Amino acid sequence: MSVARDDGKFCQPTGAGNRIAFRRQNSPSELWVWAEQRRGRLLPVSLELLGKARELAPALGAVPAAVLLGQGVEEAAGELFAHGAEKVYLVDHPLLRLYQSDAYADLLARLAGERGPEVILLGATTLGRELAARVAARLGTGLTAHCVDLYVNEEGRLVQVVPGLGRGTLWEYVCLRNPQMATVKPGVFPVPKGDPGRRGELVRVPCDVREESLRARTLEMAEEEPAGVSLEAAEVVVAGGWGLHAAGGFEPVRELARLLGAAVGGTRPAVDRGWIPEELMIGQSGKTVSPRLFVSLGASGAMHFTTGFLGSGVIFAVDQNPGAPIFEVADVGIVGDLRAVLPLLIEELRKRGIHPPPPN
Amino acid sequence: MDFGLTKQQEMLRNVVREFAEAELAPHAADLDERGEFPLAQARRTAELGLVGIVTSPEYGGSGMGHLARMIAIEEVSRVYPPLGFFLQVAPMGLYILETAGTEDQKKKYLPALCRAEKFIATAVTEPTGGSDPTAMQSTARAEGDGWVLNGRKVFITIGEVADLVVVVARTDDKFNAFLVEKGTPGFEAPRREKHAGLRSIPVSELAFTECRVPKENLVGQEGRGLAVALAAIAAVGRTGVAGVALGVAQGSYEAALKFARERKLYGKPIADLQAIQFMLVDMNVGIEAARLLAYKAAWLLDQGKSPREAGADIARAKLYTVYLANDVAAKAVEVLGACGTTPEYHVIRRLRDGLELLAAAGTQQIMKVIIGGSIVR
Amino acid sequence: MEIVVCVRRVRDGAEPGRSAIGPLERHALEEALRLKERFGGRVTALTMGSPPAGRALEEALAAGADRAVFLCDARFAGADTLATARTLYYGIRRLGPCDLVLCGNESATGATGQVGPQLAEFLGVPCVTHVRRLEAPAPDRLLAERALEHGHMKVEVRLPALVAVVKGINTPRLPTVWGIMAAAEKGITVWNAEDLGLDPHLVGLEGSPTRLVRERKTEFARRKEIFSGPPEEAVKKAVARLKELGVL
Repeated sequence: MSVARDDGKFCQPTGAGNRIAFRRQNSPSELWVWAEQRRGRLLPVSLELLGKARELAPALGAVPAAVLLGQGVEEAAGELFAHGAEKVYLVDHPLLRLYQSDAYADLLARLAGERGPEVILLGATTLGRELAARVAARLGTGLTAHCVDLYVNEEGRLVQVVPGLGRGTLWEYVCLRNPQMATVKPGVFPVPKGDPGRRGELVRVPCDVREESLRARTLEMAEEEPAGVSLEAAEVVVAGGWGLHAAGGFEPVRELARLLGAAVGGTRPAVDRGWIPEELMIGQSGKTVSPRLFVSLGASGAMHFTTGFLGSGVIFAVDQNPGAPIFEVADVGIVGDLRAVLPLLIEELRKRGIHPPPPN
Repeated sequence: MDFGLTKQQEMLRNVVREFAEAELAPHAADLDERGEFPLAQARRTAELGLVGIVTSPEYGGSGMGHLARMIAIEEVSRVYPPLGFFLQVAPMGLYILETAGTEDQKKKYLPALCRAEKFIATAVTEPTGGSDPTAMQSTARAEGDGWVLNGRKVFITIGEVADLVVVVARTDDKFNAFLVEKGTPGFEAPRREKHAGLRSIPVSELAFTECRVPKENLVGQEGRGLAVALAAIAAVGRTGVAGVALGVAQGSYEAALKFARERKLYGKPIADLQAIQFMLVDMNVGIEAARLLAYKAAWLLDQGKSPREAGADIARAKLYTVYLANDVAAKAVEVLGACGTTPEYHVIRRLRDGLELLAAAGTQQIMKVIIGGSIVR
Repeated sequence: MEIVVCVRRVRDGAEPGRSAIGPLERHALEEALRLKERFGGRVTALTMGSPPAGRALEEALAAGADRAVFLCDARFAGADTLATARTLYYGIRRLGPCDLVLCGNESATGATGQVGPQLAEFLGVPCVTHVRRLEAPAPDRLLAERALEHGHMKVEVRLPALVAVVKGINTPRLPTVWGIMAAAEKGITVWNAEDLGLDPHLVGLEGSPTRLVRERKTEFARRKEIFSGPPEEAVKKAVARLKELGVL
């Protein structure tokens, strides 16, 4: 190691305009979405971002486009057109069947260098984050991760909104260079309605990547049973309590957890009823969790339960008793008969575009 | 006057606290319930260098000193006092060997003891009273190529799991100390006591019947055995007990504070009610004072003071911290109301452990005798 | 094996029992120490920041790192991930040739996961992120198990390389008393921008293409927005609110 990089390649501020003008003259600017696919299937986040791109494009004076890398994935281009891409750059090559860190970064960076998109958006998946970071560094531009919102300001720049430090803070970033890059977590934006009749321009990009140049080589990709996220590591936890017996049992907790990609937990009474094993008990004599979102269903909120999750980001509680102490520690709550509320809750979440996390 | 700890001492506190939270906290209640000696955890403390922390690196120790040791014991005891008590009692034997043993004895035993491959206990107390050691009845007579021991020792901590015991016995009107290995014919541990607290630490009776030990097993100069043992009890045992007491107090106080912040009455946390808050204040002030007394005693030893020179300070430390720990633990039970005596809230086991400290490494009354002697003369 | 571990300090100050090193960085350090135990060599802990960050390096030395280097300069402050990666790159370049750079996949705060891959770009080496298992079939080749959301990839990577690790790859060792005492002897090397031959305009806030332009605050205490009444409405309002809060 210790390749002496010529710093001239990196981050030279370009002066007053702060825009790297290496795009072709007389062509409209483009807003790119990296269309992540696995095993030939587009991840929903790619469509979510395309929907957002379509929304942002007019304010940027840009055309929404997608970049699709893989092998035998041309069919997916049709889906991209249907969901809002006016242009799809397709790089189809056997070497790209599986995500190859070097090849994907080389291709995306080179293409961006040649075509000069205004913005590149990628899903903040484990692959997307890595790819985005490398490409941004290669292009000497900025990258904002895990955006919860995007909009265009009066100066025509993309504003990237992320959660700040501490609860209830949001930070807004702007990138001074082009392309402006951002990653967005799956599920932040809704999947747009697809119009199968929509068409667009397909640009086939030749791939000149050679196997020898892959210094890090993906040998195989394997799917795993989502065995359930561990409680302590989970970003979302759904817990159920005694009140669920009126709603027919613990199943709503599991259903909601599946939908949200959440870990399952419960109170002592839930353990006693045999609904969950002891290891999933939350509270004084059980686990302490501090997820981004904690959902409590049918638990009154006695102290030895709530002490197990007071550090959570947002607490959402559903219970039938308006005076239940759980509502003292909740950010959002619903008072009502669980039998009626829970099915409606699940339906509303689905309608809002919440869906289970993608398998590989 | 610098009240700050060194960077190393701060780092040590962090490391031991992390160890205690990660490896002791999940098992504390269960180990206490079962009353089993925490062998795996004891070995872990050795791996971290805590058993030989006042033993010279030349013999396998880490040599960080008495204040470091006290901090380590405090942090362990904050979560699981019995293991802190183990760290109080085990190094006594190491100290005896290092200060009074021969080079051969040190090389033979210390490295394995530092690694907790072997454990060592110290046996002084007899039915005639631990507070009156010169009244002991156990005898050691020189015979042939060694010594023969006869007698009974009681309330010997880890006596039944120890591989080695330092036994003090009377020879005519003098006292000698001997190393007796487990399995030596005539050496038995016939009975284990059932104590209310520190339940995982076995306290036993040891019996010696015509027990032969070779002459190499005499520790220290002839006739100096009791003095050597008492110095170790002061320097290592007593300061260790003060450390355990600090941990018991700190752990109880934190549990009470956490509960008081979360438990609501009349629409607000009970920590905001003066009656409860003032109890917490009393605990807080008492712990701060106790800590300063205890740290000073350890500091004096690190400065090179002998156990005799620092004797009154060590006695003050033990006296004050142990009463304080019992008081704080009882107050914590009270703050928790009806939850205070249930096992889930972990304050009742600390109160039980605190009680065991009253008579450990010398009773509170003996501490006052020591202090009285130092001020009146 | 020459290994550099990028250690990031935990931002929210010193607390007893809290390691000064970020949780994933501790896994990275542990992996480095294991590789050194296997292949011999040297582990250097590297960090960038303001003076309190030195504590993380002291801890790394106590855990077994051989050297510690602190890139400390007020001008490094305010850096985004690109400027941070560049600064770390200059630090590693000054250290000399190395075989492997290990880092945590993301920091405990910020958690962008970007610095690792960007540092790899500057260094011109391949990177593998989200590594939950690392095997070293030979001193110049690693086999990594790289986590995906619901699965994993097996990646073979030639050294020199950068590897970013996630939780579960190992159990980080605790420093022992011996380690704590030895750390004092090892000492920490401190370098500023001039020592690195780094143009200050390229680092810190000035060298960051992304800029924070606004901070928006909402209430800190539990909001207690409880909806009752007809279930359909209550559910709609509650879900809308959760969306606004950014947790769905």
